[in-house]
This record gives sequence, structure tokens and C-alpha cells, in this order.
Amino acid sequence: MKKRGVGFASIFYGTGYGNGFPDESRATAEIKEDGSIIIYVGVSDVGSGGLSIMWQIAIETLGVNKEFVKIKHNNTSMMHDSGTAAASRQTYNTGNAVLDACSKLKKNMMLASEEVTNLKVLYKQMVTKRIETRVEGYFKATTKEVNLETGQGNPYWPYTFGAQMVTVEVDDETGKVDILDIVSVNDAGKIVNPVLAAGQAIGGCAMGIGYAIMEEVFVNKGEIKNRNFSNYIIPTSKDVPNIKSYFVEDIEGTGPYGAKGLGEPVMIPTAPAIINAIYDAVGVRIYDLPATCDKVLLAIKNNA
Amino acid sequence: MIEVTLKINGKMYTRKINPMLRLIDFIRDEIKLKGTKEGCGEGECGACTVIMNGKTVNSCLVLAASANGAEITTIEGLSNGDHLHPIQEAFIEVGAVQCGYCIPGMILSTKALLDENLDATEAQIKEGISGNLCRCTGYTKIVEGVKIAQKKIINSQEGD
Repeated sequence: MKKRGVGFASIFYGTGYGNGFPDESRATAEIKEDGSIIIYVGVSDVGSGGLSIMWQIAIETLGVNKEFVKIKHNNTSMMHDSGTAAASRQTYNTGNAVLDACSKLKKNMMLASEEVTNLKVLYKQMVTKRIETRVEGYFKATTKEVNLETGQGNPYWPYTFGAQMVTVEVDDETGKVDILDIVSVNDAGKIVNPVLAAGQAIGGCAMGIGYAIMEEVFVNKGEIKNRNFSNYIIPTSKDVPNIKSYFVEDIEGTGPYGAKGLGEPVMIPTAPAIINAIYDAVGVRIYDLPATCDKVLLAIKNNA
Repeated sequence: MIEVTLKINGKMYTRKINPMLRLIDFIRDEIKLKGTKEGCGEGECGACTVIMNGKTVNSCLVLAASANGAEITTIEGLSNGDHLHPIQEAFIEVGAVQCGYCIPGMILSTKALLDENLDATEAQIKEGISGNLCRCTGYTKIVEGVKIAQKKIINSQEGD
């Protein structure tokens, strides 16, 4: 018989490398003779949206039309390092570096002329008045390694919060778990790009589904036995329900326009919420992921 | 070496090739159309999907020689100059693309599905793209994009 259950889970998760590990981002902003503004920033975008975010932050800070602002990235001969697109850190850390660079450039632009109408003219005014047309931006996270003896330190800043509600259907004759519905709510501060953020949130849930009920690495004497998609199973369109994503925008004072990291925390509540939902449906606790049919069925049998 | 002729995106290409050459290599290396992506190379992920004589195939599993005389559509064949195909427009509008690697295959699977059944239900859409793995999006926005594409295509047909 198919039985339904609902489960919840909530998490908090730190942005950045944390624990005092050097976590720096740099960006350069330059106004050119042709009136364009180039932001040089080592943001690598592997689908995480960092490129769009940096562009948006630059445009907002500079207060100019978007067609004048270009981002140059991914070329270490032209720009400084901004660290990895990892640890959910690009929006917050590198975003802050871009904000810093663009604020400085904006200040210089305002020194040349209080009213900006033509960027080509402004560039000439800046050169004539010997005002810097190229400025550097920098951001360093302020975490401190935790002393394990005293428990003192500052492992992360800031923290992203999230909660998910998952509805499952468990077949108590086969042990198969179907995910019927997921609602994902996240507080990542100001959401810079709502479309991209929702994509991250929903994608995180799909990855969480794989983690909870499908994905397992089999190792034999150091060799991975299931190295292909035919035996390492990840969710397809048929395994993922229509996921709903909502944001609570609690502004983070240290973030660029109030933003915090979002990339990783979005997938963390999914697995525990699914495991709680399985418990709600059939009364068994699965402690060893993934909750595959055989494990769920065995647990139901042992519980009877 | 054998001579084959394939019609790709409406254009005829004749090449002398190794009979072991896969269709994906013919498309990417001989014709230099790099929009078709290779993922797993064993027919599991769907990234290399192209449309061959109206049906989707994993181009990593088809020999170019066995596609001799076939009509192939790749992602490059969808747009008309700068004018995007409604499926491409819909995917962009809804934010269905993240890293983008699965998208050429995803769009071609969508096209083959909608060419056959423009009124596909949500379950049929999910079935239709289930051979295309995506690790980024969770599929929700892709399915939304397909639904918007359906409306766009129906509206454009009514306009004709």
C-alpha cells in the first residue's frame, strides 16, 4: 500500500571558506576612453550565476546604463584572483569586492563631474583633472579559527538559513519512495537575481533528492565500481516534482546590497526532510543514505 | 575510408571518413558544429542528442556511416539567423538554463516531442525529456519553459 508522509528540516550554513582561512576577493573597475566601464573580476561562472550577479552589482553601484558596463573574467593575465566559485562565496565575497571597486570608481567619476551625462566626456574630464580612471576593489572575510578548547572564535560570517517541507509516498510492499512535493524557503539576505536564485534553490532540492534516495558510490579495494550514469543513478525529470521556492530577504548588513551565499545551503535540508517524511509515512528511520527500496523495505519488515 | 553524405540543418555535407567515426565526432570535428555536447559518451546522459530523420538519437551511439543519407538537426539548426526558435526564447525567458551543458540536447528533445505532440501534458513533457540529465536546474524551470514554448508555437501557428 502507498502511504503518504510529510517531513520538515531546517538548517543554517556559513558563507565562505570560514575558520580564518584566507578568503579574499579582488576586482578592478576602469572607465575607458570610449565611455565603457570594464570590471575585471576573477569570477568563474559554472552555472552558478556569478557573472550576472557581478554585472548587476556593478551597474547598481555605478548608476549607469547597463550597456556601458562589461565584465571581463576568467583570465588571470588580466585580473586578480577572486578565489573559487565554491563555499557559496561569490555573491557575498566577490560581490563585495566589485561593490568596493565600483564605489571607488563612482566617487572618482563624481569628483570629475557631479552630473554624469556622457561617459566619453567624463573620461576626458577625469584625465584632464588627473583623477584615477582605474581603481582596485578588495574584500576579505572576517572569520577566525575556532579554539576547540574554549569554543571561542568566529567560524563563519554571515549565515544563510533554510527550511524545506517534503511530501513523499512510500510503497510499503516495495520500499519505493516517490517525492511528490517540495517547498524550499531560504533566507540568503537580499536576492540579487530572483530568477537565478530560484534556479539554484530548485536545483539544490533535485540534488538533495539524489543524495537522499538514489546516489551511492560503491567502492571495492579503492576502485569505484559504478562509474557510469547507468549504475550511478541521478534524478531525471520524472524523479523531481515541481518544486516551489520562496525567499525571506533578511538584509545582511555586511553583504553587497544585503546579500549572502546561496549555492550550497539550498540542498542541505532536502535529505533530512525526506527521511523525516519517510518516517511520517511508514514509521521507520533510515540512518544510512541513500534510502533505497531495499533499505526502506528491510526497515519496514524489521519494524513490523 | 568511406564516403558519406549527411544533410545537417538543411545543408549537404560529403566527407571521406573512418567507418568507425561516431555521428557526434562527424558533427563536431568534421563539420565543426560545436553546439552538440558530449557528456557520458555511452548513451546515458542525453547531452549529445540530435534529431535524425525526425527522431532523437544519442549522437555518441550512432556511427556517422550509418547516418549516411539521413537528415540531421542540431542545435545550430533551430534559430533563423538572430531569430531564436520559440523553445530557445522560452528557455531564456523562464531561466531554464544554468551551466547550459545539457541544454542543446534538452532543447532538441523538446523540439522532437512538440513536433510530434504540441499539446503534450506535463507528464508527457517529463517523459519526453527524461533521457536528458540535468544536474543544475532540478528540471522545474525546464518543464515550465517547455509549457511556455507550447503556447508560443500555438500562438504563432494561429497567427499564420
